[in-house]
Amino acid sequence: MRELRRWPLYLVALGTLLLAGFPLLWMGYTALKTNAQISANVWALPHPPTGENLVQAWQSGGFRRAYFNSLLVAVLAGLMAALFSAGAGYAFARLRFRGREVLFYLFLAGMVLPIHITLIPLYTLLERLGLRNTYGALLGPYTAFALPVSILILRGFFAGLPRELEEAAVLDGCSVWGRFWRLALPLSRPAMATVVIFNFVAMWNELVFALTFIDRPHLRTLPLALMEFSAEHGWDLAGVNAALVLAVYPALGVYFLAQRHIIRGLTAGALQ
Amino acid sequence: MRRKWEPAGAAYLFLLPALAVYALWVLLPMGQSLYYSLFAWSGVGEHKTYVGLANFRALVQDAVFWQALGHNAILLIMSLLLQLPLAFLLAVVFTRGLRGEGLFRTVSFAPMVMPTVAIAVLWTFIYAPLEAHGLLNSALAAWGGEGWTHGWLGESDPDLSLWAVIVTVCWRYVGFHLVLFTAGIQTIPEELHEAARLDGATEGQVLRYVTIPLLARVATISATLSLVGSLKYFDIIYVMTRGDGPYPHATELVATYMYKLAFDQQRMGYGSAVAVALFGISLAVAIAFSAGMARRAEASVGG
Repeated sequence: MRELRRWPLYLVALGTLLLAGFPLLWMGYTALKTNAQISANVWALPHPPTGENLVQAWQSGGFRRAYFNSLLVAVLAGLMAALFSAGAGYAFARLRFRGREVLFYLFLAGMVLPIHITLIPLYTLLERLGLRNTYGALLGPYTAFALPVSILILRGFFAGLPRELEEAAVLDGCSVWGRFWRLALPLSRPAMATVVIFNFVAMWNELVFALTFIDRPHLRTLPLALMEFSAEHGWDLAGVNAALVLAVYPALGVYFLAQRHIIRGLTAGALQ
Repeated sequence: MRRKWEPAGAAYLFLLPALAVYALWVLLPMGQSLYYSLFAWSGVGEHKTYVGLANFRALVQDAVFWQALGHNAILLIMSLLLQLPLAFLLAVVFTRGLRGEGLFRTVSFAPMVMPTVAIAVLWTFIYAPLEAHGLLNSALAAWGGEGWTHGWLGESDPDLSLWAVIVTVCWRYVGFHLVLFTAGIQTIPEELHEAARLDGATEGQVLRYVTIPLLARVATISATLSLVGSLKYFDIIYVMTRGDGPYPHATELVATYMYKLAFDQQRMGYGSAVAVALFGISLAVAIAFSAGMARRAEASVGG
């Protein structure tokens, strides 16, 4: 009875579910239709379903290579960002040094900064160094722009660790390096996981740097490959929906399996 | 003892990798942008002509720049007035112990893990004209709303392209703010709500006098993120319309304008000036907003 009386709430919930979820389902089943079926009725379910679009998009869209590129860049830059932020976060939380406040705010300011202000100088720098159209062109900026949020999260975590642990380690003759490597870093696993998830998702989906620094087809990341495919195939709805599914469904699958961790990872910076 | 706890200079070694990367890829280019904004430069070769503040004088007179900035302002206002209240209401609905509320939350957050390019492509299909089997127009036509069918992104009468792309941007971020508000609501002890109800408060009053005041912190965070995000926004709108629409610049933002100046028209000096202006505006708004918030917090403590 109680549930019945709350039908307006369920109505709102159902509406939200449809608005957010239906487009995701639609691209999935539309990828299984022929263009003739789509022209007949763009809303209808595939009848009969075909896997042809998916096979063709996978073969012609360079998605295998794009997956490799995106994975490589996101993993490498993600690891570097996590490690560097751990060092900096530890220093900001635990060590005393001149300029601590100023440097911390300098990093924090990176969260407000429009990345577009770095675009032209980085473009010319990379061009001059011969790094445009290399993985290096993305690794540097991705690592750098991941630092502010990561440092914020890790500094918060290290500051929350009980000081007694480290004081005991000092009495045992443990150096500051030892305390970081053998004590603080292993304890920070949950915070590190958060940071890695946040950065991985951001780098996996990143557009502006990749668009500006990469124009060789074999170096395209996943968003670039999808953009290129949809530009080339225009209103081939079946084909482009297949490309969308190839680009999005694996990530959505991982998300639904690990949603708790991923949601926490993506909101941790804001809730710090 | 002090020395052993913290050897001199150790802190700088801990900071060195992060600081080096940040300086090379963020701070140095920022300075260079300031410098480039004083030149006329095609970006090809070293040939730059020093023009002083001429780029900024041109910027002040540039109707497209002001138009783009106006669009950023509309995006900002819509994300504060549409996206945040919606996210808040949904967070309230999804913390009432409905069956399956975890699923509702998970699905509304899903767009946050999709590449922005994918969202833009998907919504281009939703908004496509009837002849191109646009999802929205097909539904309108099927349910007797032929008069409402519309080339959402490309028809000038009335021009809805800006509103259409803004709806798409909000579609992506509502789930994110919903999760922030949910986390905020879950930190409010249930006893506070119970106590208010026992005192005879209606659900509306509980919301108004208990829930909302206690969510001030989360609301500030959400608003700050929306504010900063809308000023520098680029991705979805660039992929959907390239900043155009039924007429050139119909959905232009400052960031898309800057991108086109620099990389389509090779006006690197002027593009840098637009980037510097974007940075200055973002910084000023962020500082003004957090100062305003701090003053309000002080006033409420004092009063």
